[in-house]
Amino acid sequence: MGPTVSALLPDNAIPSNLKLRLLVLVALSCTLVFPAFASTPSSGTLTPANGSSTTWAGSGIAGATTDETTCVDGTDCDVFTITLTGAPSNYQGLVLFIKITHSNSLNDYDFYVHKGDLSGPVIASATAGIPETSESAVIDPTVSGTGVYTVHVVDSTVAPGDPYSGVATITTPPTDSVAHGTAPTYANYQSPPGLGDSSGEPSIGANFNSGRIMTQAVFDTLQVTFNTSTSPATATWLLKDGPNTDITTLDPILFTDSQTGRTVVSQLFGTTSLSAFTDNDGATYTVSQGGGIASGVDHQTVGGGPFRLCTADQLIATPVPCAQLAARGPLTQYPHAFYYASQDIGDAEMALSQDGGLTYEAAHPMYTLVECGGLHGHIKVGKSGIVYVPNKSCGSTQGLIVSMDNGITFTVEPVTTSTSGTSDPSVGVGAKGRVYFGYIGGDGHPHITVSDDQGRSWHYDLDVGVPFAIRNAVFPEVVAGDNDRASYFFLGTPSAGDATGADTGAPFNGVWHGYVATTYDGGRNWFTVDATPTDAVQLGVICTQGTTCPNGTRNLLDFNDITVDKVGRVFTAYTDGCITAACIAKGNNATASHTRLDNDQATKATIIRQSTGKGLFKSYDSTPLRP
Amino acid sequence: MSRVAFLALLVLSLSGFAVGKRPPPPQILGLRLGMSYNQAHARLNEIGQFKSEDEGQQVWTLSQDKQYQYLIIGFDRDRAVRYITVLARPDGQPVNYTDVGNLADAARSGGEGNLRYTWKANDKKGHFEYLAIAKGKDSRHLNHYSIKRLGVANDEDERD
Repeated sequence: MGPTVSALLPDNAIPSNLKLRLLVLVALSCTLVFPAFASTPSSGTLTPANGSSTTWAGSGIAGATTDETTCVDGTDCDVFTITLTGAPSNYQGLVLFIKITHSNSLNDYDFYVHKGDLSGPVIASATAGIPETSESAVIDPTVSGTGVYTVHVVDSTVAPGDPYSGVATITTPPTDSVAHGTAPTYANYQSPPGLGDSSGEPSIGANFNSGRIMTQAVFDTLQVTFNTSTSPATATWLLKDGPNTDITTLDPILFTDSQTGRTVVSQLFGTTSLSAFTDNDGATYTVSQGGGIASGVDHQTVGGGPFRLCTADQLIATPVPCAQLAARGPLTQYPHAFYYASQDIGDAEMALSQDGGLTYEAAHPMYTLVECGGLHGHIKVGKSGIVYVPNKSCGSTQGLIVSMDNGITFTVEPVTTSTSGTSDPSVGVGAKGRVYFGYIGGDGHPHITVSDDQGRSWHYDLDVGVPFAIRNAVFPEVVAGDNDRASYFFLGTPSAGDATGADTGAPFNGVWHGYVATTYDGGRNWFTVDATPTDAVQLGVICTQGTTCPNGTRNLLDFNDITVDKVGRVFTAYTDGCITAACIAKGNNATASHTRLDNDQATKATIIRQSTGKGLFKSYDSTPLRP
Repeated sequence: MSRVAFLALLVLSLSGFAVGKRPPPPQILGLRLGMSYNQAHARLNEIGQFKSEDEGQQVWTLSQDKQYQYLIIGFDRDRAVRYITVLARPDGQPVNYTDVGNLADAARSGGEGNLRYTWKANDKKGHFEYLAIAKGKDSRHLNHYSIKRLGVANDEDERD
């Protein structure tokens, strides 16, 4: 083994963070310069003729890893290179179909297809879970181009003795392009009188250990228990305010680390936040430091999940960068990271907590206002510890801010298929790292797009409001479960016009409902369901222009939220602005007036609970959801 | 050493000492905290070009400044300057933390990668308190420098 960079340079020659970057650079260079471990044969060539085909055998790799970013070639992943000859136009009416098969249904192989070499964008992936004996993906060369494609086969969970075989074929495209199966259904649960009556911009979380739901809005932190011994289930709402978060402040935020059951509640207060956490759904709280930003904060967010740490194979392959990551790992028994982010003065910053949210480090800069707008959406952390923060305006597109080192450095990735908008976008991260980015585009429509390479490239950008002719939407909220499954909640109206402005001219006339779109195939197809079909959420305008909005236009404030419970059932929290019988009746009368003057301007806490249909975790499909 | 040279040296050293002990001033590049929107824009148009605006915060590109590339400015509800941030030019003349204030008087936080010096000061003329904050990734040169009035509401605050 040759000398490391740190051995070549004296300790005081370069700052330690620069040293880390050099080491990471060397590690990355090694992966690019040295050939990745290959299958047999290592490559094949296909021509633009129906039936052109090539096959290969896997290298016999076995192991377990979270996603492509955590595998080590030759240990738990390998590659096969495909070259498509000719011009893209030669493939008109043809597709590249790639499939791998293996024998044991309890083993789980995945693959990612890069355009070019492994540093190229991931343009398709196949990441279904157990049970499975095959994975496949379809690529359109007229869109993706010809030349080299690299198939990166990853052991998600593979025991020795079950090698895969691969085939790549030029064939005609599949004919089905709609979502298969049955659409989910949903029920609404409104908070009882006296609770959740002032609940603008709610957050929601699910405790996998207790099965309870936690939600928080402006005034109240609420614990919700669903009694499933009856069907439909009944809900019990209890007030569970934290010791320092039940006062009227600015932005309220709640985040539940579903795996551990810890819920953090936060209220913006002056130049910092008041915060506390609970491990028993609000029975008792521990007051925490609050945040890690001390100078003029706004629109804070809290999120969390696993630390970014190396796998055993990565530790062997790249020990020094792994040690640097480990230094930002857990400092206490609490296994997960919490992050606090907010805009500061001219930039946005994020601070890591390594002790379960009790204290936070001094924040690191994420981006400046030169790159993106100051306000951002909420933090999501993937299973492999990658941290994501969405932003509605990074130049002419929406953006995704990504950290792969536990919040030290950040990359701003443009969501290239999008246009900038006025609602904070939202991210869901699948179990194997697929990113679902839900956003309201410049056209006002609810879009969602997918990335399999941490936001470096995007595909399947779809307008999920089409089934209901949605022309204006706000408050996109996304949650993912298995890698191929995600749900996307938004408020939408089929009425055209200035639905999100200050309403200074002729009042906007429109009825808003809550919609949930769900994919079970990785974002190719979505079921969109009106989850409030007979009870409007709002009549008239929903102003998204912040504090410049006139009175009576911004009762819902700035966002809603969505989560998933242990069995994959989806829950959303929203603020209901139309709650009286008169308002609801107007919403159901197509010829009635539907302006803000007809609206209740209410701010009532309401939860949508998935009643039937498949959840977001395939492993629970055999136990159908009951209302 | 001549008497004149000695006196000049004495004056210089005393003035330097005085500057070193003074907190960073509540102004950057001729822009002062509390300045009116119109006054600020007059100055901004002299030193740069408007680039973008987000929630009442404006980004300006500084065309001539050798040290700073961008200036970000925020206004309060009364349209007076609430904060000013300048971003160092990556290929420009580096700015030391000591160029903006006496480090002995500043609160230090963070470390390499997120080092921050914060001064808290009182502007007797304007009757307001303010912060001066220098942030950088290494121990010598700053990347951002900000001044911010305390105790004023801004457009993007109070979202509820």
